[in-house]
Amino acid sequence: MHTARIRRIGIAAVAALSVFTLAACSNAPAAEYDPDEEITLNFTWWGNEDRASRYQQLMDKFTEQHPNIKIEGTFTDFASYYEKRATEAASGGLPDVMQFIDSYIGQYSENGQLLDLNTMSDYIDFSTFDDLMLSMGRVGDKQLALPGGFNVWSMSSNKALLAEYGLDEYEGGTSWEDYSAYMASVTEATDGALYGGTDYTQRIQDFEVWLRQQGQELYEDGALGFTEDDLREFWQLGAADRDGVTAPQNRLEEVAPQTGVAAKMTATELAWSNAMVNYQAESGSEEFSLIAPPTSDPNAKDLYRQGGNQFAIAATTKHPEAAAMFVDYLVNSADAGAVFGTSTGFPASTSRLAGTKLEGADLKVSQYLDSVADRIGPTPPIQNVPYGALEAVFWDLGKSIGLGAISIDDAVQQFFDEAAVSLD
Amino acid sequence: MTTESATQRPIRGVAGSRTGSTGTPRRAGARRRDNLAGYLFLSPWLIGFVGLTAGPMLISLYLAFTDYNLFSPPTWNGVDNFVRLAGDQKFWGSVRITLLYVFIGTPVKLAAALVVAMLLNRASRATGFFRSAFYAPSLIGASVSIALVWRAMFSTDGPIDSALSSIGIDVGGWVGIPALVLPMMILLAVWQFGAPMVIFLAGLKQVPPELYEAAEMDGAGPFRRFRSVTMPMLSPVLFFNLLLEMVHAFQIFASAYIIGSGTGGPAGATNFYTVYLYTRAFANNQMGYASAMAWVLLIVVGIFAAILFKTSNAWVHYAGDQR
Repeated sequence: MHTARIRRIGIAAVAALSVFTLAACSNAPAAEYDPDEEITLNFTWWGNEDRASRYQQLMDKFTEQHPNIKIEGTFTDFASYYEKRATEAASGGLPDVMQFIDSYIGQYSENGQLLDLNTMSDYIDFSTFDDLMLSMGRVGDKQLALPGGFNVWSMSSNKALLAEYGLDEYEGGTSWEDYSAYMASVTEATDGALYGGTDYTQRIQDFEVWLRQQGQELYEDGALGFTEDDLREFWQLGAADRDGVTAPQNRLEEVAPQTGVAAKMTATELAWSNAMVNYQAESGSEEFSLIAPPTSDPNAKDLYRQGGNQFAIAATTKHPEAAAMFVDYLVNSADAGAVFGTSTGFPASTSRLAGTKLEGADLKVSQYLDSVADRIGPTPPIQNVPYGALEAVFWDLGKSIGLGAISIDDAVQQFFDEAAVSLD
Repeated sequence: MTTESATQRPIRGVAGSRTGSTGTPRRAGARRRDNLAGYLFLSPWLIGFVGLTAGPMLISLYLAFTDYNLFSPPTWNGVDNFVRLAGDQKFWGSVRITLLYVFIGTPVKLAAALVVAMLLNRASRATGFFRSAFYAPSLIGASVSIALVWRAMFSTDGPIDSALSSIGIDVGGWVGIPALVLPMMILLAVWQFGAPMVIFLAGLKQVPPELYEAAEMDGAGPFRRFRSVTMPMLSPVLFFNLLLEMVHAFQIFASAYIIGSGTGGPAGATNFYTVYLYTRAFANNQMGYASAMAWVLLIVVGIFAAILFKTSNAWVHYAGDQR
C-alpha cells in the first residue's frame, strides 16, 4: 500500500515533467503582425554603459509608439559578444534582433542563421540607403543586415594633451616614415611622458590599408590576399618604432583593454572613425582630432566604409514583423540619429542622418569623412572567413612581437599556420 | 573522503554494531517496488547526471574526432584534431605554463596552508579571528573583482612595484612582463590557502596529544615531533588536500581570463590550458578541436591522480592500520 502510493506519486511526477518538457519544445508558427498581440523582443548589442543608456532611450521611445511590443535589451563587451552568439546559434536560440559587425556576417550567413531582410520589405524602408550602404550587409542577393552607421579608418589624436606639451599634431596623409618620425618627435620632446603612438603594425586594419595602398586586399575569394613576405615586411616596418618610440607593450598590457590613447599614454592611435568620441571621453581630454592615416601612395583608394554597426534578425525569431519594425526604427528613424549622433558610426541612411545634429565631435567626424573622400574606395565584399578570429590572432602576434616574446619570422609562420586551419 | 575515513576509523566498531543488523528479509516483489520508488526519487539527480554530465561528455568525445564550427553539422575527421594538437606551438605553451602552475603553485599553497594551520592550532583566544581572517581570501578569491585588484596591484607604480622599488628592485609592473605573470598567478593562488588550511586545522586537532607527550619524553625536538608525529598523522589529510588542489589548479580559468583580458596575453603568459580551450571553442568556433583538448586534459589529470593514489600506499598513514 505504502510503496504503491509512492509509485503512483513517482509516475505522476514523471508524467508532469514530460508534459512541461513537451510544452517547452512546441513552437507556435509565426503569425502575421497583429498590433494588439503582446510581443517581447530580445535585443542584444556590444558596447559600454554610455551606449546602453542611449539604446534604452530608443527602446523606450519605440515602445511608446508600439505599446504592444516590449523590448528586452542585454549587452556585453565586444570580446565576449560573438562567443555568446556562437553558442546561441548552435542551440538555435539567437536573440530576435542583434547588433552585428560586418566581419561576422559571412560566417552567420552559412546555414541561414540570419533572416533575409528583403522578405520584410513591408516593414523596412530600404530607399534611404544607397547601394554601397546596402552592400555592407548583403551576401549574394540576401540582405542579412542593415548598417546603422559606418566608419572609415582614421587616426585619433589627443589635440588638447599635445597642446599642453606645446606640440603640434601629425599633419596626416604623408608617408609611414613621416608618421614614425612624428611619433619619435613627441616621445623625445616629452621624455617618454607621452608616447607618440602605439605600434600600428599590431592591427590588421593597418595592414589592410597598407596592402590596399599597394593594390592588394586582405582576403580574396575567401583566401588570404597577401604572401608571407608581405606580412614580414609590414611587421619589420614597425621594428625601429618598437625600440623606444611607441608605447612599450608591457605598459599597454597593464591598461588593456583600454588603448594607449584612451589611457593618455600615447598621443595618437589608428582606429575606426567612431572610436575618437570614446577615446575623448575615456581620456577626459577636451579636444581630439581625426587625422588621415599615413599612406605610401596618396592616390590610392586605400580607405573604405566599414559597416561596423549593423542590425540583423535571427532566422529563428517568432516575430519577424515586429523585429523588422524595430530594425527599421534603429536604422531609419530620426530618433536614432538624435540619440546616437556618430558614436556608433556615421549615420548610414539619409533619414537617420537627417535626425543627427552635427556639432562638436560629431561635426569632426563629418568633416573628416569629407576630407578623405578621395581616398575612399570600394568596401571589400563580405566573405565567409573567420575574420574576427584571424584579427585576434594577428593582434596577439603583433603584441607578442612588441614584448620580444616571438621573432617576426616565427610570428609570420604562426599566422599562416592559423589561417591555413581557419580558411580550410 | 579520505579525511572521513581517517577520522571515523577508530570508532568503526561502535558504528558497525549499530548498523550491523539489516532487519528481516523481505519478499522480492516488495523489494523491486522499493527499488523503483528509490530510482524515481533519484530521478532528478539521474536526469541531471545524464543530461548535464554524462551526455555532454559523450557528445564531446564524439566531437573530439570531428571538425565542428557550431554552424554546420560536425564532420568526422578521425584523429586529425589530435595530430594537429601535437604540432600546435600555442598548445604546448599552454601545457608548459599550466604544468608549472600546478606543480609549483600547489606545493607552495599547501605549505603555506600547513604552516598557518599549525600556528593557529596553538590555543589562543584570537584563534577564531585569525582563522576567519586567513580563510576570507578563499571566499572571494575566485571573483572577478579580486583578479582586477590583483592586476592593479601588480601594475607599474602599483603597491608591489612601489614596494620593490623602495628596496632597490626595479622591475616595473608585472602584468605586462610575460616572465613575471606566472609568479603573479601563483601568488594569487597561494594567497587563497584558506580552504586547505581549515582542513589541515581539523586534521591537526585529531592528532592525539599523548603522541606528542610520548615523543617529547623520548627526547624528540620540535622538528622531530613534526616529522615523526604530525606528518604521519596528517598524511591522509595532506593526501586529500594535495589531490583536490592539484585537480583544482589544472582547471585555473577565471583569474587567468580576467588578468589576461581574455586573450591569454601578454604573449601567452595567461594562456592556461582551459583558457586556450575556451578560446578555441568559443572565440575561434573550433569546437571539435576544443573537445579533443578537453579529453586530453581529462586523461592527463586522471593519470596524475592515479599516480598520486599509487604512491599514497607508501606515504599515507591511516591510524589503526596494521602496516
